[in-house]
Amino acid sequence: METLLNVLVVGILLGGIYGLVSIGLNLIFGVIRIVNFAQGELVMLGMYGAFLAYSMLGLDPYVSTLIVMPAMFLFGVIVQRVAIQPLQAESSMQIFATFGLLTVLQNVVLVFTRGEGYSVATKVASFSIAIGEIRITGTHLIILIAVTAISVLLHLFLQRTLMGKSIRAVTQDRQAARLMGINVERTFMVTFDIGSALAGLAGALIAPIYTLSPGIGDNFILAAFAVVVLGGLGSVAGAWAGGMIVGIVEAFAGYYIDPELKQAIWFLIFLLVLVIRPTGLSGQVGAEEVGFREQS
Amino acid sequence: MNIAGRLISAAILGGGLLAGTAIAQDSVRIGAVNPYSGPLALYGDELARGYQLAINERNAKGGVLGKRIEMIRGDAGNPQQGIAAVDQLVTRDKVEILIGTYISAVSNAASDAALRHQKVYWDTNALAAELTERKLPNFVRSGPHGANFAEMSVRATVEMIAPAIGKKPNEITVWLEHEDSIYGKTIADVQKVEFEKAGVKITGIGAHNFRAADLTDVVLRARRANPDVWVQTGYVPDGNLMLRTAREQGYKPKMILFVGTGDTFETLDALDTEYLEGLFVVSYPRPDVAEKFGPGAAAYLDSYRKAYNREPVAPQGMAAFTGMHMLLDAVAAAGTTEMTKVRAAAKQLSDRLWREVR
Repeated sequence: METLLNVLVVGILLGGIYGLVSIGLNLIFGVIRIVNFAQGELVMLGMYGAFLAYSMLGLDPYVSTLIVMPAMFLFGVIVQRVAIQPLQAESSMQIFATFGLLTVLQNVVLVFTRGEGYSVATKVASFSIAIGEIRITGTHLIILIAVTAISVLLHLFLQRTLMGKSIRAVTQDRQAARLMGINVERTFMVTFDIGSALAGLAGALIAPIYTLSPGIGDNFILAAFAVVVLGGLGSVAGAWAGGMIVGIVEAFAGYYIDPELKQAIWFLIFLLVLVIRPTGLSGQVGAEEVGFREQS
Repeated sequence: MNIAGRLISAAILGGGLLAGTAIAQDSVRIGAVNPYSGPLALYGDELARGYQLAINERNAKGGVLGKRIEMIRGDAGNPQQGIAAVDQLVTRDKVEILIGTYISAVSNAASDAALRHQKVYWDTNALAAELTERKLPNFVRSGPHGANFAEMSVRATVEMIAPAIGKKPNEITVWLEHEDSIYGKTIADVQKVEFEKAGVKITGIGAHNFRAADLTDVVLRARRANPDVWVQTGYVPDGNLMLRTAREQGYKPKMILFVGTGDTFETLDALDTEYLEGLFVVSYPRPDVAEKFGPGAAAYLDSYRKAYNREPVAPQGMAAFTGMHMLLDAVAAAGTTEMTKVRAAAKQLSDRLWREVR
């Protein structure tokens, strides 16, 4: 029984990681419907940002989020202006542009690091709660708290603020939103930038867990897309739940069945959910079409 | 600059290039096939550093066959690039011999391509056993292969670890963990056979993807089996994540044995030295190995530090360095770079070395 509980806890904590790396994508893909294959690289840049802050300024990765998030927000502005906005009427071309961005970012980091694996230390790593077999580490606990808090804040932002309402309006019908006086281009840019900043935050928070490499974003991108789609495009609560489902299924499948099969098992569940409910767990009917339809 | 000035500059530059070509024809050109870009470049560059150090030493003593030795890089991170790199090195750069790499799949394709050009392919670092099993007439391997690592890990467990924990070989238990590509699987397959031959009980075999975001399941499964020795074959990222997870889960078996990686600064940075106590590694010989076991290693380390002003990135560079020296010995003994003669000379040198060792 204790082992079962431990596996459940491991799954929830892993779900926190998946939820966190998906949260920026949930805005960029789930809300404004940009299929951003470079999202994993934005997370990777956040990780290296935390590493630079740690190695050059001696900052703890959790403190470094105060630098990394604004930096990634600004980086998002540049990417959106240079690579995304000029192609806003060509959604398929945007996909290729994000592929190009992925390659450029990976190789630029590679040039500077030559592929050496770096680690970021934090005092939190030595903190853990042990209840019998169950272990809750500080690094994972912070991620779980962060993803839950950010999800709540993001939900409130999208539902309660004027900018949040603008984002939702632009997503649903760009022309009608423009007629209502919403600055469509600015709204898209701000959404992309927030998504980029959240990817940076995710990178900084997960940096103490992994060995940094230029290609590490690839490890998360498939899971991130699955989480966003599984939860329901644009649904913040859905993405949180999607992350938890993927994490828990992976933990149980990896421990009780086979670590080699765990990804196949949660993708099978992902496919089943899509067949039964194409909008994902919390998505609105028709939401999966909205962004693409209205961008033309 | 006016047009006349530009023409004069172009003429001087052209003359310089022609002169350069004329000089280059007096050298023995060796094409070094490795990943020099992309995520695998770290060790590709390290191998090239090893090759270059060996070439520098030989050139200081007059080169080989009375000519200077020149290394030309061919960038290859996958089999297709391996074939293209060999074609380009042979047809455009006029290399006479090819040397490479630590990626078995690239070595496989590149050596095949080299055979089509009737050139020697000298393998210094690739581990897959099948490379030599193909019996290509142009292929020579100077480094270890996967089975060597597997056998050495079994010997280390039986001869060193078992006595250290006060058990006989048939009393100890091991868990075999490996990353799930051909690299990890082939080594684990040989380990299984050899451990069973030695009477060691295998409590379980686990496989994982080296890109996995979480390896807690891997750690918990090993902990459930409670082996004396936890044997892992993999890469740096998964090895580090596994050790970190084990530390977080409070799991520390009596002994941990890593195969292939685990002895670089990347692992030292990722974990504290306290947890790494009791971690043994079977891998390429290290440059800081005792002179008794690795004659010449100290000299290599010295020249590496002088040349590159840093510590070696990974021990693979020394295997590349030794491999290049062996290749040049074989070329010198053959008196030519011709494929069959170099291979025959390599075999004679190998036979002589084995006789001396025995």
